[in-house]
Amino acid sequence: MSSKPRLLLAFLLAVLLASLLASIFQTQTNLAALQALGAPMPLDVRVGTTCLDLIGFAPTFALLSALGFLLALPLAAWLARRMPPLRWLIFVLSGAAAIWTALALANAVAPMPTLIAADRSPFGTLGLMACGSVGALLFGLLGRRVRYRVQPTSSESL
Amino acid sequence: MLRSTRALMLCALFVSTPLLALDYRIETFSEGLENPWAVAFLPDGRLLVTERVGRLRIIEADGSVDPEPVAGLPEVFIAAQAGLMEVALDPDYSDNRWLYLTYAHGSQEANNTRLARARLVDDELHDFEVLFTAQPLKAGAAHYGGRIAFLADKTLVLTLGDGFDWREEAQNPANHLGKIVRLNRDGSVPQDNPLIGQEGAAPEIYSLGHRNVQGIFFDAEHNRLYSHEHGPRGGDELNLIEAGNNYGWPLATFGIDYTGARISPYTELPGLTAPLLHWTPSVAPSSLTLYRGELFPDWQDDLFAATLAERSVRRIRVRDGMLAGEEILFEELGERIRDVRSGPDGALYLLTDNPQGRLLRVVPSE
Repeated sequence: MSSKPRLLLAFLLAVLLASLLASIFQTQTNLAALQALGAPMPLDVRVGTTCLDLIGFAPTFALLSALGFLLALPLAAWLARRMPPLRWLIFVLSGAAAIWTALALANAVAPMPTLIAADRSPFGTLGLMACGSVGALLFGLLGRRVRYRVQPTSSESL
Repeated sequence: MLRSTRALMLCALFVSTPLLALDYRIETFSEGLENPWAVAFLPDGRLLVTERVGRLRIIEADGSVDPEPVAGLPEVFIAAQAGLMEVALDPDYSDNRWLYLTYAHGSQEANNTRLARARLVDDELHDFEVLFTAQPLKAGAAHYGGRIAFLADKTLVLTLGDGFDWREEAQNPANHLGKIVRLNRDGSVPQDNPLIGQEGAAPEIYSLGHRNVQGIFFDAEHNRLYSHEHGPRGGDELNLIEAGNNYGWPLATFGIDYTGARISPYTELPGLTAPLLHWTPSVAPSSLTLYRGELFPDWQDDLFAATLAERSVRRIRVRDGMLAGEEILFEELGERIRDVRSGPDGALYLLTDNPQGRLLRVVPSE
């Protein structure tokens, strides 16, 4: 696959992974808060709510993470080429920074203090940023340039 | 037979709808009000209107707005939903001239709803007293509640909000977030409040588990306290408030978050009081009254809920204490309605919520 479609696919998969993870994280933190208030939380309710959030919430987060990744991931790829030993650290940090920036911008624009419920606590914000890091790592993995070493043929070796 | 009866009912419906639309006329009583929030009727025929931007205006009996706002108002925190909100007259206003105001108090980083009272003398506020400040102070500028009603014993109930980010605190009896509180008119706590004596509970609490209550009305004739509150996306509620009850937010709700996330998997749970009705999708109810006037005999004892998102007033029919259907009124205005009140002249008064807000008077068309 040539470079541009491969990078685009890597970008979309990174957004998808980050959004799925963030949605699952958002659901579990919210259900934990309700459980702490005394609500029963059997497994079927937990699974059902998680699935509903994957349909209802994940697209919202995909939009936010796509906006964040649009700036962060190309920059990370550029830096990673120049600092190969720090490649994975660069992607971890860029994914986290992308989500933090997107959340901060959303909160600045939205009428409510905090748009995403999980983002109301430092733990929740860090959790969402970690989801961004995983997405960015996937981009770093899939977007790598594959270098083919030319092997000498048997006749040449003779 | 059944089919012909249905056909007759359908015909009656189609015939009655246009007639209903012609039953009233909407007059502009006053205009040029900046995001008006609440209206109160003075015994001398004049009216008081709060503007969210921190002004209290006097409106003459002919509808003209006094160009000078009432002097003596406190400093108000104004941002987003924050500002000057309710104005209500004391049940014994003719004797004591107390009027009650609610407003957002504090700063962007630390604010909440405050209740104060003052006497209106020569169109100025005197003897200003802060009666209550909801605790804790919180950041942001959302969900203040801010409506007042007086109960039969002349204590007052004040509606509050959860501040948006603190929804779980609506279940915490130790603070005022997401509660309705009941106070004596001097700000002291009535000794028969439901959580009095419960260790760690805020003694002012009358009911809990609310999101953002912007409508409350005490029906003295039937001894019923109605309120409505904003849900998130869906789940706006009309509730019958009883002392000490938990109305469920955020454990049980018909709404979902603005992001599409579930707030709760439950719409009901044991121990939580269910709403009389819920509006899903949201209409954003902003004010509640009950009509008792002579101009509209058909509207007697019906509840009227102003709405922001639907840009209407919901007429909720009440028959023998039971809800008996709804009618959507005044959509033709196309304006957010911030307040609805049953006037002493029998007309229904509306405030429209925009920078060029109006006070409207609804009267019979003939």
